Amino acid sequence: MQYGFVIDNRKCIGCHACTTACKSEHDVPIGVNRTWVKQVEKGEFPHTRRIFSVLRCNHCSDAPCVEICPVEALFYREDGIVDFDKDRCIGCKSCMQACPYDALYIDPETRTAAKCNYCAHRIDVGLEPACVIVCPEEAIISGDLDDPDAKIAQLLAQEQVTVRKAAKGTVPNLYYIDGDEASLNPMRTEPSDSYFWNAQTRGVGHFARAAEKLAFSNSDIVDALTGLDTDKPERAPKSVEVLMQRENRIYDTPDKGILWGWEVSGYVWTKAIAAGVFLVWFIGWLMGDRGAFADLQVPVAVTGLIFLALTGVLLVLDLDQPRRFLYVLLRPQWNSWLTRGAYAITGYGGLLTLWGLAAYFEWQAIAQVTTWLTLGLALLTAIYTAFLFAQARGRDFWQSPSLALHMLVHSVMAGGATLVIMHLVSGQAIPSLLATTLILALVVNALTLTAELATTHATAEAKRTVAMIVHGRYQAAFWIGSVLIGCVLPFVLLLIGITAMPLWIASVAILIGILVTERIWVEAPQRIPLT
Amino acid sequence: MKKRNKKISWIERAAERIGIIPVNATRPDDPFEALDQEGLSKFPPIEQWDDWTEYEAKAHPRKEARRYTIVPTTCFNCESACGLTAYVEKETGTIRKFEGNPYHPGSRGRNCAKGPATINQITDPDRILYPLKRTGKRGEGKWERVSWDEALDDIAGRIAKALREERNNEVVYHVGRPGHEGYANRVLQAWGVDGHNSHTNICSSGARFGYNLWYGYDRPSPDHANAQCILLISAHLESGHYFNPHAQRIIEGKMKGAKLIVMDPRLSNTASMSDYWMPTYPGSESAVLLAMAKVILDEGLYNRQFVHDWVNWQDYLRAMHPEAPLQFETFIEKVREEYAQFTPEYARQESGVDPEMLVEVARAIGKAGERFATHTWRSASSGNLGGWAVARCLHFLNVLTGSVGTVGGTSPNSWNKFKPQFFDVPPAQKFWNELHFPNEYPLAFFEMSFLLPHFLKEGRGRMDVYFTRVFNPVWTYPDGFSWIEALSDEDKVGMHIALTPTWNETAYFADYVLPMGHSAERHDLNSYATHSGMWIAFRQPVLREAARRAGKEVTFTYEVNPGEVWEEDEFWIELSWRIDPDGSLGVREHFISPYRPGEKINIDEYYQYIFERTKGLPEAARAEGMTELQYMRKYGAFEVEKHVYQKYLEPIPEHALAEAEIDKESGEVSRDGKAIGVMLDGVARTGFPTPTRKNEFYSQTMVDWGWPEYALPTYIKSHIHPEKLDRERGEYCLVPTFRLPTLIHSRSGNAKWLTEISNRNPIWMHPHDARKIGVETGDLVRMNTDIGYFVDKVWVTQGMKPGVVACSHHLGRWRRPQDTVGNRWATNTVSIESSEDGVWNMKTLRGITPFASKDADSARIFWSDGGVHQNITHAVHPDPISGMHCWHQRVRIEKAHATDQYGDIQVDTRRSHEIYKEWLAMTRPAPGPGGLRRPLWFKRPIRPVESCYYLQDNGTGGDTDK
Repeated sequence: MQYGFVIDNRKCIGCHACTTACKSEHDVPIGVNRTWVKQVEKGEFPHTRRIFSVLRCNHCSDAPCVEICPVEALFYREDGIVDFDKDRCIGCKSCMQACPYDALYIDPETRTAAKCNYCAHRIDVGLEPACVIVCPEEAIISGDLDDPDAKIAQLLAQEQVTVRKAAKGTVPNLYYIDGDEASLNPMRTEPSDSYFWNAQTRGVGHFARAAEKLAFSNSDIVDALTGLDTDKPERAPKSVEVLMQRENRIYDTPDKGILWGWEVSGYVWTKAIAAGVFLVWFIGWLMGDRGAFADLQVPVAVTGLIFLALTGVLLVLDLDQPRRFLYVLLRPQWNSWLTRGAYAITGYGGLLTLWGLAAYFEWQAIAQVTTWLTLGLALLTAIYTAFLFAQARGRDFWQSPSLALHMLVHSVMAGGATLVIMHLVSGQAIPSLLATTLILALVVNALTLTAELATTHATAEAKRTVAMIVHGRYQAAFWIGSVLIGCVLPFVLLLIGITAMPLWIASVAILIGILVTERIWVEAPQRIPLT
Repeated sequence: MKKRNKKISWIERAAERIGIIPVNATRPDDPFEALDQEGLSKFPPIEQWDDWTEYEAKAHPRKEARRYTIVPTTCFNCESACGLTAYVEKETGTIRKFEGNPYHPGSRGRNCAKGPATINQITDPDRILYPLKRTGKRGEGKWERVSWDEALDDIAGRIAKALREERNNEVVYHVGRPGHEGYANRVLQAWGVDGHNSHTNICSSGARFGYNLWYGYDRPSPDHANAQCILLISAHLESGHYFNPHAQRIIEGKMKGAKLIVMDPRLSNTASMSDYWMPTYPGSESAVLLAMAKVILDEGLYNRQFVHDWVNWQDYLRAMHPEAPLQFETFIEKVREEYAQFTPEYARQESGVDPEMLVEVARAIGKAGERFATHTWRSASSGNLGGWAVARCLHFLNVLTGSVGTVGGTSPNSWNKFKPQFFDVPPAQKFWNELHFPNEYPLAFFEMSFLLPHFLKEGRGRMDVYFTRVFNPVWTYPDGFSWIEALSDEDKVGMHIALTPTWNETAYFADYVLPMGHSAERHDLNSYATHSGMWIAFRQPVLREAARRAGKEVTFTYEVNPGEVWEEDEFWIELSWRIDPDGSLGVREHFISPYRPGEKINIDEYYQYIFERTKGLPEAARAEGMTELQYMRKYGAFEVEKHVYQKYLEPIPEHALAEAEIDKESGEVSRDGKAIGVMLDGVARTGFPTPTRKNEFYSQTMVDWGWPEYALPTYIKSHIHPEKLDRERGEYCLVPTFRLPTLIHSRSGNAKWLTEISNRNPIWMHPHDARKIGVETGDLVRMNTDIGYFVDKVWVTQGMKPGVVACSHHLGRWRRPQDTVGNRWATNTVSIESSEDGVWNMKTLRGITPFASKDADSARIFWSDGGVHQNITHAVHPDPISGMHCWHQRVRIEKAHATDQYGDIQVDTRRSHEIYKEWLAMTRPAPGPGGLRRPLWFKRPIRPVESCYYLQDNGTGGDTDK
C-alpha cells in the first residue's frame, strides 16, 4: 500500500483553497504552510500564462527527512505516508536541509518541525485529506497508488506525469499532470520578498519570534521598526529582467530564512578544534619527540574537552527544543549522522577524559589503549559532519565527495593552530613538526577547497552556490577570510620563521579562516531556493 | 524495496523506563488502526453528523478522539453562499473548523479559500462583540458600550416618529451584500417605506441593463458543465457571481472538451486557463462581439429557427425599414447591413484583438450552437460608459446561436433562483424615494446608490435613520471622501446605524455600531443561479442548532453567539415590534406568527413557513419523518429542481388563455392589455417577460425613453476610449475592478489565512509602459485621477495589455490612530486631513504590525505592506442610461514626486462634485411615455404601488389615478 497524490494542472485554478483548508485542519500558524500554490508567469504578452503549482511533501519512498532525523520524529507509516511526531522532535532542522522540496517548517507554536502528513489522522478514520475534499476542481487526487482500481492509479496509467526533482532519487509519490518545469524547477525563477499580492518583512516559522517580540513592545518602537520603508528598494525582479527571462515568480510563500546559522558553523569550528588538538598531538607523538608530547597530554585533553563542551552548548543552542537535547542519544535513529555524530562526540569526550586522567595519574596501560581508541573517535568527530551534510540532500553543494577531507584538514589545521597557541602561551618552543604539519595541511586545504569549488559539482544549484562564494555575495568573506587570512597569510608566515609574533598571527589567522569558511559553507547553500 | 524504520531502540526503552525521558506513547512502530471501509470517503456519513468522532490533528500521532456535532450552514464571504459544515466540538461547545457541505447542490461539498477561512472570522480577536454608541463627535472614534434595549428603543422611537410624520422617505436601509432572499425587503414594506438602497450600481447595473433590454431578465445563468464553447467577459475561475460553483462547472465543461474564451485586458487566472485569451482594450468588447456576430451572420452559422421564432425582427423591420417586405430573409439582410462595419479588422483597431483569432472564435461559437455558455459580470459591463452594451452584444451571440435557455447554453438567472413564499406580504409602499430613483435615471438598474452623497449635498433630501449593513461605501465606493463628508453631517444623516460583525471604514462614521453574526452565527435563506438547477440553502447559526441537538432550547440566536452578537433576522423583528408598540402604525401586524395567532413571530416559524411551501421539500422531509425545518437543519440545502431549460416554451395555462386575446398577425397573446405570451405553431407559449414576449433585438423602450440611437445592440465608445486619452500627457486606462480569489471586498480583512496570502495591490504594468514612464517593479508612481491621486508601487508584468494598467481594489484597508482595533491583520494606520475647500489628504502612518491578542498568530504577522486604497480617488461616473458607475479611470501616470510616500492619497471633493454634474448632464430624464418615472416592465426592488410610477408635481408619489 502506498498513498500518494496526483495534482492535475489541467484543472487547478490557483485559488488557494487547499492552502486554507490545510491551515484549518491542522491550525497551521501564519507564515508557514504544509501546502501552498506557487505561481509563475510565463511567456510574452499576449502569449502569457500563469502556472499554478501545488507544492507540499512528496511522501517519498526514499525520504531524506526520515533518514536524517536523529530521533525518528519523522517516519514511514505502513500505508506509505511520511508522518511525523512533534513530541519526539528536537528542532534540529536537519530535515529542512534534507528535504529537496522545502516541505518542512518549524511550527512557531510547538517549536518543532512539521509538514504535510497526508492528514494521517483523517486517513485513520477513513477520510480523505482536507485539501482533497475542498478543491473546487477536484484537481488534487489522493489514493493508494498500489491499488489498480483506485482513481489515482488509473490516472497515472492514462496520463503523462512528472515529479519534482526526479534526479534526487527520493522516489516521490506526488505526481503532476501537465507539470511545468518553469514552476516546478526552483532555479528557473527568482524568489523575492515582494510578489504580486504579498510581501514579507519579518521572519516566519523558526524566525517568527522576531515578529512576536515586536507585538509586545511599545507602539513607538513598532512605528520606528516597521514604518513603511518607502526608500528601501524591493528585491523583486526588475522589469528588464522580466523582459529578458519571460518567466517570473509572482507568488510564493514567505522565505523561512537560513535555518542553520552561526550556531552550526560555530559548532563545526569548535568541534574541529576539539578533535584536531588530539589528532595533531597524535601526529607529533607518533612521529616526533614522544616525551615532549607525552607532557602535553593533560593540556590537550583539557583543551579538547573545553571545545567539546562548547560544541555541545552550540548544538543545544541550535535546537528549537533545547530541553530535548538528550533525545539525540536516548531516542536514537541509527541511520542519522546526527545521532552517530552525537555518539561519536560523546564517546570521544569520554575517552579523552579517560586518556587525560590516565596521563595525569600515569596509568600507562590505560593510556596506551585509550590513545588508539581516542584516535578513532577523534577522526570520526572531525569528519562526521561531512556525512551529515551529505544526508542533507536538499543542499546540492554539500553533496561533495571531498567534504570529509575538507573537515579532516580543517580539524588538523585548527588543532595545529591551537597547539601552537598552547605552546606560545606556556612559553615552550614550537616543535618543527607542528609547523610542518600546519604547512602541509594548508596546502591540502587549498587543494581541497579548489577541488570543492571547481570540480565536484554537477547541478545548477551547486554551481550557483559556487558562484555566490567565488564572485557573489560571499566573495569578500571567501577571498579575504578563507583564502587570504585562512591560507595565504599563515602559509607565508609559517615559511618565514619561527619567532613568536608571526606564529601567533598565523595560528589566529588559521582559526579565523576556518570559522569564516565554515560559515560560508554552511550558509551559502541554504540560500538556494528549494521551491 | 521501501525502507521502513526499524523498531525503537533498547536505549530509548531503557531511558523511558528509568524516567530520564518521557514516554513517547505513540511510537512510530505502533500499529495504527486498520480502516474498516473500502477506500476513503470525502465526508462523514450523514447518519453520524450528530455524533461524529475523529482524531485531533494537533495531537497526532497520539490518538485523541474528539467528538463533534456537524452542523450545515452557508458561507457568507462572497455572494455564492456555498455550503459549509461546522464542526462543533461537543466537549467545549466551540466551532473548530468548517468543511464543505456535500448536500449543497451549488457547491457540492467544495469551497474556495474563503470557505475554510470562515473560522478566522469567528475567532477574529478584533471582532465587535457589544453594541456601541458614539460618545464624541461623529467620526471621532469614541464609543461606549450600550445595551441592546437602549439601542433598539432609541432607533425604534426615531423610526416611529418619522413614520407618524410621514417622513417615510427618510428611513433608509442600505445593504451591501444582502445574502438573504427578501427578508429585509419584506420588513421595509411592512414599515411602508421606499427605503431600500443597494450596491447594485457599483456592481452589476451595466450587465443587468443590457440583459434586461433583450429578454426582461437581468442576469445570465450559463450551463457551463454542458457547453461546447464558453465565453467569459469575466473572471469566473477566480471571482464573481458565482465563483466556486461556476469555476467547478467551467472546468468540468472544459475537461469534456469545451473551448474557453476569455476577454480581459489583464491575464486573470481565468484568462490563463483559457483556450483563447482575447486581451481586449477596455470598452471595446462590444465591437469584438459584434464582429463575431457578423461572422456568424455572414457565414450562416446562426440558429434560424430560434431567431425566427423568438426575436422581434418584425418590429425591427416595421420601425426601421417600413418599406421593406416583412420577411425573415429581409431581416437577415438588413441586420448584415447594420453590422457591415464590424469587420475583424475594425474590431482589431478598437480592441487590439488578433482578427484571425476573432474569426476562429466566432466559428467555434457558431459550431457550438445551442451549447454556447456566456457570462459578463463586473468587468467590461461595469467599467465603461455604455458598458451595458457589452451584455447586450454578448446576449446577441446567444440569440444568434439559439443558446438561450438550452442545455449547455445560457439561461436567465431567474429560472435557477428560488422565490420564497412569505408568511405575510405587506402592501406595496406608497412612496417613491427620489434619493434612490431620481428622475434623471429612469432606466437605471437600480438605486443610484453611489450618488447619494451628491444628492444630499444638493439638498435633494435627507435621511433621518440610515442603516448600513455589510456595506462599506467609504472604502468600497468611488469618492469615499464625499461619503465621509455626508456621513459626518448630522443635518443630512440624522442617525447612522452600522450593522456589522466587524469594523469597517464606514462604521467609524456611525452613531451606533451593532454587532451582527458572521455566516455561522445567523439565519438566512439562500438561492443562487449557480447552474441549470434550482436549490435553496439554509444559513443557520450553528451553535444554536448544536445546542438544540444537545437538548438545550435556545430562544434567540444571541444566546449562543459570542458576546452580545445578534443576528439581523431577530433584530428586525424586535425593532419592528418596538416601532409599533400598540399596532397603530400598522407595522406590528406584519410580524405576527402564522402558527400562534396574535403573537410575535419567531425565527423558526419564519423559515418553517417558507420551507413548508417549497416545492418537493415537504415530501422529502416526510420521507425522513421530519418537518421541513428539521430537514433543512439537518441537510442545510435542498434541490428544488434538478434541471431547468427552455422555460419560455411552457404553454400558457388554459385558464389564463381563456381570458386572453390573440393578435392574428403578430401572434401576441395578451390579457388586460398586457402581453402574456406568443402563439407559435398553434401553441400559446409564455415566452419572455418583455413587452413583445420575445428577445428584443429592436427595443421600442429605448426609442420611447429618448435613446433611439440605441434601439439595436450597438457598440458605444467608452469614456476611456483611446480617442479620449491624451497619451502624450501620460494618460492611461486604469482597470480598478478586479477581485482576487482569496478576498472579498472589505469583508475578508479579518481572515488571517486570506490576508497572509494577499496583502498588497501594486499597479500592473506592461514592460513597454514601465519603460516609457521610467519605472521598474517596486518603484512608486503617482496615479492622477480626475479628482486627485494615489501613490502606489508598480508591478511589471507580461500579463497586462500595453497601454492599460490595472490595480485590484481589494487591498488598502485603513484605520485611523484613534481606531485602536479593527481588522488589524489588514489595515494600515493612516492620518486623514481636510482643508476648508474640500481637499482631503490621507497618509500612511504605518503599515501592518504584529499585535498581541488572544490569537498567538497576531504576534507573527510577517507582512507590513497593506496596499493602497484606490477607490477613494475615483470620481463618480454614472452611466446616463443604466446608472452603472463606470469604474475604469482615466489616469495620468507619473513617477512619484520627491515628497510622495507610498500610500499617499489626495482628493478634491469639490472637483468630484463637478464631475458628478458633468456626467449628470448626459442624462435624458423622466418622464417617459405617459408621464412615467420608469418603464413599468422594468424591475425595481420592492415595487411601490403603481401610481407612484407616474411623475407628479410634488415628486413624492402618493395616491393618484393615472
